Amino acid sequence: MVSNAVSTQSLSKRYGRVLALDGLDLSVPRGEVFGFLGPNGAGKSTTIRLLLGLARPTSGRASVFGDDARDVALTHRRLAYVPADVALWSQLTGAEILELLARTGPGTDRPYRDELVRRFELDLSKPGRAYSTGNRQKVALVAAFATRAPLLVLDEPTSGLDPLMERAFRHAVHEARDHGQTVFLSSHQLAEVEAVCDRVAILRAGRLVDVAAVTELRRLHRTEVTVSFAGTPPDLSRVPAAEAVEVTGPASLRFTLTGPPGPALEALAAADVTSLAVREPSLEEIFLGYYGGTPQ
Amino acid sequence: MTPASARVGPVPYDQAPWRAVTALAWRQVRRGALVVTALTAAMSATAVAAHRSAVQDLEDAAALEALAGNPAIRTLFGEPVSLDDPGGFAVWRTGTALAVVLSVWGLLAATRIIRGEEDAGRWEVLLAGRVPVTTVVARHVTVLVAAQVLAGAAAFAGLAAMGAAAAGAAVHGAGLALCGIFFTAVGALTAQVFATRSAATGAAVAAFGASMLAKMVADGLPALGWLHWLSPFGLTALSRPYGGASLWPLLLLAAAGLAVAVTAAAASGRRDIRGGYLSPPSGRAPRLRLLGSVQAFAVRRTLRPLAAWSAGIGAYYLLIGVLTLSMTAFLTDNPRFAELAAQAGFAGLGTVHGYTATLFALLAVPAGAFAAVRLAALAADEADRRLTLLFAQPVTRTRVLVAETAAVCGGLVVLVTVAGLATWVGTEAVGADLGLLAALHGAWNVLPIALLCLGAGALALGWAPRAVAFIGSLPAAGGFLLKVIADSAGLPAWVALLSPFAHLAAVPDAPAHGQASLLMTAGAVLAATAGLVGYRLRDLHL
Ligand SMILES: Nc1ncnc2c1ncn2[C@@H]1O[C@H](COP(=O)(O)OP(=O)(O)O)[C@@H](O)[C@H]1O
Ligand SMILES: [Mg+2]
Repeated sequence: MVSNAVSTQSLSKRYGRVLALDGLDLSVPRGEVFGFLGPNGAGKSTTIRLLLGLARPTSGRASVFGDDARDVALTHRRLAYVPADVALWSQLTGAEILELLARTGPGTDRPYRDELVRRFELDLSKPGRAYSTGNRQKVALVAAFATRAPLLVLDEPTSGLDPLMERAFRHAVHEARDHGQTVFLSSHQLAEVEAVCDRVAILRAGRLVDVAAVTELRRLHRTEVTVSFAGTPPDLSRVPAAEAVEVTGPASLRFTLTGPPGPALEALAAADVTSLAVREPSLEEIFLGYYGGTPQ
Repeated sequence: MTPASARVGPVPYDQAPWRAVTALAWRQVRRGALVVTALTAAMSATAVAAHRSAVQDLEDAAALEALAGNPAIRTLFGEPVSLDDPGGFAVWRTGTALAVVLSVWGLLAATRIIRGEEDAGRWEVLLAGRVPVTTVVARHVTVLVAAQVLAGAAAFAGLAAMGAAAAGAAVHGAGLALCGIFFTAVGALTAQVFATRSAATGAAVAAFGASMLAKMVADGLPALGWLHWLSPFGLTALSRPYGGASLWPLLLLAAAGLAVAVTAAAASGRRDIRGGYLSPPSGRAPRLRLLGSVQAFAVRRTLRPLAAWSAGIGAYYLLIGVLTLSMTAFLTDNPRFAELAAQAGFAGLGTVHGYTATLFALLAVPAGAFAAVRLAALAADEADRRLTLLFAQPVTRTRVLVAETAAVCGGLVVLVTVAGLATWVGTEAVGADLGLLAALHGAWNVLPIALLCLGAGALALGWAPRAVAFIGSLPAAGGFLLKVIADSAGLPAWVALLSPFAHLAAVPDAPAHGQASLLMTAGAVLAATAGLVGYRLRDLHL
């Protein structure tokens, strides 16, 4: 049997009184772009530190391509990592850091690295201390993608990137997927995960809430609509896309909309609408709405 | 808008904002400040107590005076003033050492909490608030100055409590504090000039080293006595707490310290945050040597600090070598010296070999500090997450630690060899008869103690990574102080035996203690192994 790229069995990590990770069971098959979604403090970085053998699990087991995560000499030969908060040696220039990482790492595709440097518009002559947050992240991203390692572990890698660079990042992830690499991408941005991932795990307060294909995740994407009307109240009961209809006054109501809005708009048209407000709820609200505020 | 939301907005915070800055600065230095204060009080008090036994052992106070007049001893302890007075004796025995402790602590703390915090990016949030950068720097300096005043007061209390005259104790305490304040201010100034903590610390240490050398030359060579006026240590000595105290040198030192401190605060307002007056260039061609492996990279990170330490230690031991001349001249003039020196516990100082042996023993302290500081830098690289990318490579922690300790070991050998060579060059220059091999043996003889520091540092890295510098320097700096205190305070013999220095032979005056060296090295290996176990087991603080 071919082992999964990443798998964990009841993986837990306790920091003093904080249970940062609580019995995580996860498996990511090879070749998948896997999103790891959760609000700040959910335990994403903790999971990744355990996967990389940088921290020791309190209980449970993590493995990478079937090998125990603690055996870093073995597992790290097949992965590359971009930390959430990249710190560089202040006296080393970008070029020197890439050289160090290439020569101590699992191998590097140098032509591809040069291509990535160009795409990410990275100035490699600067010393580490002169890079901004986003540029430090880009150095780490270039080093990681250039390894062409079978597994890429990326911890919120785009938090410091501007939209153009984010596009370059997504392009590189697609290339990695085409190359047959597995990508483990932690993020707190639903849009990013939606754009690049095949499957998504949702983590909250150290517990796995759900694992779903991204197509399924779209049902999480709901829009909140508030309408006021002069005529008779609109009949939304026969519009399946409108849920959680709530009458907020004699001439106003609120509902959430999932999927194409056409049928709902048709129903509203009859009601002589005087005002219409459409709001995209935040990820946090989606989580709270979808999971009822408590982890399953 | 509801009435409730109308009230939302910045709520004026009653407390003056600079108070928060002061509290922040104090939190970062309080532990060191208390240790330094306690040490100052303890050493001053024990030295007064030691006076009685020192006077009893010698035939009379005049003989003690003659002993202290030896230029070799003068370079170690400074010019003796009123040794018949318990206070004068204490000032002579501990004054230089305490001035060094306060100054080094002051400049290290200043560059750490001023440039180090800014360089790490922790000041951006602070400076986005209401407090301007000049105030922040001024507050930090003020807190450090207060700590130095506290230490000076501790010296006064230690002397006065044991019965030394209060007036002299006050002058001595003031001198120590002013010396510490001056170098605190120097650290604050270099923290403005240089954009990185290491450069700022290096420059401040260089200023410190130059001041120390000037004072030692002035003490050892009477013709150059005027150099006292150019060195904070010299000015402190000129104040002569128990020899007709003179306040002019201290006033001069206070004015100099104030000027440097004010310059530092003013300079902070005219530069970019995270920048300095001498910022490193913003771009350069890559230098790809020593990046090929973890071991090579460890060597690369060691080279620059090693060069700086070698320069400082080399200069010091060159001076020691040169001073052996006045030493031999003194010997021909004072035939009874060897006898007196032996009685006072400085056996063997009467010969060139004995003199250099005594000073080579001292080499263990900076060599051990080098080892501790290098491992502390590794811990800092981990805590500041610079090591994260390296630890994500197929590289075990064992390999990282072994590479680092190997690089530091190599650095230690270079460092002590430089000291030995410098001493030899100095002695050759003045025609003293030491010999190259004798000089090298003497320098190499301290390696086991330095290795103990390396082992202790590795142990701390595994089990208490925040205390690496402190635990790592315990065997050398701590051991040295322990021996001095135990000897001079007449503590039970076994206390002194805890110090590695009790087991260090006076090479090249005497043959090395092979067994003790072997045991210390074995202890170092054992400690490092225990450290490695902890390092492998624990979470990385990334
Ligand atoms: N080294 C640590 N010591 C103590 N608590 C920690 C440590 N690292 C993480 N935590 C705690 O564990 C929880 C999960 O953190 P983390 O994995 O960083 O979250 P995320 O990456 O999802 O934002 C948080 O409550 C955090 O405070
Ligand atoms: Mg995180």
